[in-house]
Amino acid sequence: MLKFPGIKGLFFDEELLIKQSSKGVMGISIPCSGLNSSDLKKSGRAYIDKKFVRKKAPRLPEVSEPTVIRHFTRLSSWNMSVDSVFYPLGSCTMKYNPKINECIASLGNMKNLHPLTPDFLVQPALKIIHDFNLILCELTGLAEFGFAPQAGAAGEFSGLKIIRKYFDSNGESRKIILIPDSSHGTNPASSVLAGFTPVEIKTGKDGTLNVEDVKKYISKDVAGIMITNPNTFGIFEKDIKKISGIMHENGSLVYMDGANFNAFIGNVRISDMGIDMVQFNLHKTFSAPHGGGGPGSGAIGVADFLKKYLPVPYVSFSNARYKISEDKERTIGRIAPFLCNFAIIVRAYAYLLSLGRDNISSVSEIAILNANYIKKKLGKILKDSDPFEKGLCMHECVFNDAALEKSDISTVEFAKLLIDYGFHPPTIYFPKNIHGAIMIEPTETESVKTLDGFIKAVGAIKFKIKKLKAIKSPQKTKVGRVNEVLANKHPIFK
Amino acid sequence: MNSFRYFPNSEKDIERLYRILEIKNKNELFGRIMGDIPLIDESLLETLSSCMDEKTLYRFFSDIDSNLPDKNKFSIFAGGGIYNHFIPSAVDSLISRSEFYTPYTPYQPEVSQGTLFALFEFQSMIAEISGMDVVNASMYDGAESLAEAVLMSIRLCKGNNNLILISEGVNPRFVSVVKTFIGDTDIKIENVVLDDKTGRTNIEDLKFKLKSKGKNGATVVVQQPNYFGVIEDLEELEPVIHGFNPRPFLIVSSTEPYSFGVISPPGFYNADIFAGEGNSFGNYMNFGGPLLGLFGAKKEYVRQMPGRIVGKTKDSRNKDAYSFILSTREQHIRRGAATSNICTNSSLNAVRAAIYLSLCSKEGFSEISLLNLKLSHILKEKLLKTKLFKLLYSGDFFNEFSLRILNSSVNVAKFIKEMAKREILAGIEISESDILISVTENNSLSDIDGYIKNAKAVLT
Repeated sequence: MLKFPGIKGLFFDEELLIKQSSKGVMGISIPCSGLNSSDLKKSGRAYIDKKFVRKKAPRLPEVSEPTVIRHFTRLSSWNMSVDSVFYPLGSCTMKYNPKINECIASLGNMKNLHPLTPDFLVQPALKIIHDFNLILCELTGLAEFGFAPQAGAAGEFSGLKIIRKYFDSNGESRKIILIPDSSHGTNPASSVLAGFTPVEIKTGKDGTLNVEDVKKYISKDVAGIMITNPNTFGIFEKDIKKISGIMHENGSLVYMDGANFNAFIGNVRISDMGIDMVQFNLHKTFSAPHGGGGPGSGAIGVADFLKKYLPVPYVSFSNARYKISEDKERTIGRIAPFLCNFAIIVRAYAYLLSLGRDNISSVSEIAILNANYIKKKLGKILKDSDPFEKGLCMHECVFNDAALEKSDISTVEFAKLLIDYGFHPPTIYFPKNIHGAIMIEPTETESVKTLDGFIKAVGAIKFKIKKLKAIKSPQKTKVGRVNEVLANKHPIFK
Repeated sequence: MNSFRYFPNSEKDIERLYRILEIKNKNELFGRIMGDIPLIDESLLETLSSCMDEKTLYRFFSDIDSNLPDKNKFSIFAGGGIYNHFIPSAVDSLISRSEFYTPYTPYQPEVSQGTLFALFEFQSMIAEISGMDVVNASMYDGAESLAEAVLMSIRLCKGNNNLILISEGVNPRFVSVVKTFIGDTDIKIENVVLDDKTGRTNIEDLKFKLKSKGKNGATVVVQQPNYFGVIEDLEELEPVIHGFNPRPFLIVSSTEPYSFGVISPPGFYNADIFAGEGNSFGNYMNFGGPLLGLFGAKKEYVRQMPGRIVGKTKDSRNKDAYSFILSTREQHIRRGAATSNICTNSSLNAVRAAIYLSLCSKEGFSEISLLNLKLSHILKEKLLKTKLFKLLYSGDFFNEFSLRILNSSVNVAKFIKEMAKREILAGIEISESDILISVTENNSLSDIDGYIKNAKAVLT
C-alpha cells in the first residue's frame, strides 16, 4: 500500500459550532460608525413601529474568531479536493485551478464593485467581458456569447428559450427537443423548464448517434437537438455534421451541450460541425474552481442569426465606449439579476491569457492522450468492461461493471475502495445506459505518473478483491460508509 | 510541445503516450477521432495573444483594477438587491483553503464531510434567520430563487394555479427573471400596486385581484423589505392571503435578509416559501456575481423544493455524518421529471455565509443589523433637513429608502453622475426624479456627512 497516496492520517473531530457557544462571545470586529452613545443605546423601536421588531434574535453560534478558524479549518480537512488528490470525475473536468487566477479575482476594487455603478466608471470591467467574448467567438466560430447564465443548466435553459423564441418569431410552434439517452440529466430537465417535450434517442452500439435513427425522429414538431459532444461516453459524435445537416434541412436547430468542451478547446471550432449554439461551463473547461458545487458560469454562445435572442443585459461597444445594454431585438429576457458572474469570468479570462495561443491547443490534446492512456491500460485490468474497446475516446472514458461483477463486487463498492488508496472515485452509474458505469476524466493537468498510480490501485483492488470484500470501505476517511437510506428516511435538515 | 506550468507531462511523457497509443502526432490523433473536421491553426488566432507570463498577467489585471473606483475612497450608498457589507479577513482566509474551493459537488459523502457539514450549518443558520422550517444548500441568486419558488408553488397547486400576483414592491430585476421562467406558460402574472402613501403593498388591490381572478388558486409574491426599502406589513397581509379559498401560496422574497436581525422574518408570518438573496452574508459584490440564492419552505413542501439539501445521518460506525438527501427530486436522478434543472449552485458562497454568520455570532448579527437601521435613518434625517429632498413613502424602512429630488433641473441620473465624480455612489435611479439610497455598517457618520456636503453642492 505504501506506494499509494492513501495512507494513515489523523482527523480532528468537531462539534457543530452552535454546540461550542458561550453566551455573549462573538468573532467579528464591527466597523466603528462614529455614533454617539445615546444613539448607540437606542433599540429598534426608536426607529420603526414595534409591531415589526423581531422579538427573538436568531439563534446563531456564539463563538470567537479563533474558534471559527479552527472549526472550519478542521472541516476543510475532511474533504478530498483537486489540490489534494487525483479527482477523475467523468464529465466534471476536475482540472487544476490556477492560483494566480484566485489572486486576480480577489483584487480589491474588482471584488468590491457594485453592479449598478455608472458605466463611465467601470469601463475596464466591461472591457474584460467584451474581450473575453471575442476570444470565445474565435475559438468556437460562433458570433456572440451571453454571460447572464449562472451555471451550465442555466446556460442550457437560456439556449432552449432562444430556440423557443426563434420559432415563435417565425410563427411556428415546435414542441420537441431530441436528446440522446446518454445526455446529462440537466438536458431533459432544462427542456421541460423551457416548455419543451424531451424525446430520447437511443445511442447506437458504437456509442454514437446513428444518422438513420435520428432520421426516424424527424418531424415538423422537432425544434432542435441537444447533443453533448463529445458525448458522455467520451466519444466524438462522428456523424455530427450529417446530423446537423438533417436538423437544418428540417428547419430545426442544433444545440451542443458544451460541458465537455475540454476535448476541443484550441483545436476544433464547433461551428465547423454545424452547431448553432453551445453553453460553456467556465468552471470546467476554463479552470474556474468548482467550489464544492458552485458557483460557476454558463456562458451561452450562438451563431449570428441567433444573436438578437440572447439574454439581457449585455456589454455593447460603440464609439469607443462600453455600455451595459438591454436593446436586444428579440431577447429571451433576463436570466440573472445583474450582468454576469463577473468573478468567474475574470478567472476564465485570466486562464486563457495565461495559456495564450501558444499553449491552448495542448489542453485538449493532452486531455485526450491521458484519457486514452487510462482507457487502454484499465481495459487490460477490467477485462471485457470497455463497451467501446476499439475506437479512441476523447477527454474521458467509460467502463461497465462486467469485470467487477465477475468478482462479485458492485461499482459503488469499487468506488469506495478506491478512496482508501487515496483517489477520488470516478463518476459512477452514469451514463445510465452503461451497466454499473465508471466514467473517468483525467484532464490535462495530471501526469502519467499519477495515472499510473491510479491504474495500479485499480489493479490492486482487483487482485485483492476477496480480502477487500470483507471490509466495509472506506476505512481511512473521517467517517465510514454514510447511511444515505437513513438520511432520507428520517430527514434532519438543521 | 512545450513546458507550460499547468501541464505535468513532460515532452518525453507525451511522446510515450503517443507511442503507447500507436499514434504519430496530433493530426493523426484528431483525424482518427474526427475525420475531416479541420483543426485550428493556433498560430493564426487573432483575439488571443501569445502566452502571458504570470508577472505580466498579474500586472495586466492590477492595472485594470487600479482604473476602477478605489474601494478605500469610494463610498457606496447603492443597494437595489446587492449591499456593501463589511467582510472580516477570517472569511477570506478560510475560504481560500483549496479543500473548500477545489472539490466538486459532494456526491461521495465520505470524502466531502467538510463541505456537507458546513452546508448543514449554513442551512441551520439561514433557517434561524428566516424563520423557515427547511432551507436548501443554495440557489444561484435571489432572482432565480424567486423564479423557482414561483414554479414550486405552481407544482404544489397541481395544475390549478394560473395566477401569480406580484407586488410592485418586488425588485424589478427579480420580476423580469420570473417572467423569463414563466413566460411561455399559460400562467398569468399580474401586479399588485403599492399604497401611494406608505409604499407598502396595497391590501385592497390584493383582495380585489384575489377575489376576481384567484378562483383556481393563486400565488402571492411580496418582498421584505420591499424594493423601495419599505417594510411590508406581513401581519396584516398574511391572514388576508391565506384566508382565501382555495388557499393561495405566500412567497416572501428578500434582497436584504440582514434586516431579519431587526425585523420579524417571513417564517414568523406563516410564509409558505422564502426565496431571497444572501449575498449580504460575507460575500463580495463582485460587480454583480456570483451571488447566493436562499431558499426555504415549510416542511410539508420539502419534496417539491428545488436544489440540494444536506441532511444529518449516521455512518457505518454509528457516528454522525452528513449527505445530500431527497435526491429523487433532482435532475441527475429524475431527469425531465425533476423539480428543477439546477445542478451547480452557489455552494462556496454558502460556505462563506456560514463562516461569516458564525463570526458575527448571535449578538454581532443583531448589532450590525441594528447599526444598518440607525445609520440609514441618520442619513435620511440629514438629507431631509437640507430641504433638497422629500421622502417618497412614509412606511418604515430598514437600511434603504427612496427620496425625491426637489430640484427639478437635476434629474437622478445627473445627480448620480455628479456624485460619482466626487467618489460617492449616491444610490440607484428608480425614476427621473426618485432615488433609492442604501446605508450599511460600512458607511460611517463621516461618510454620511460627506454625502450631505456633496449633495448640497450638486443640487444647489
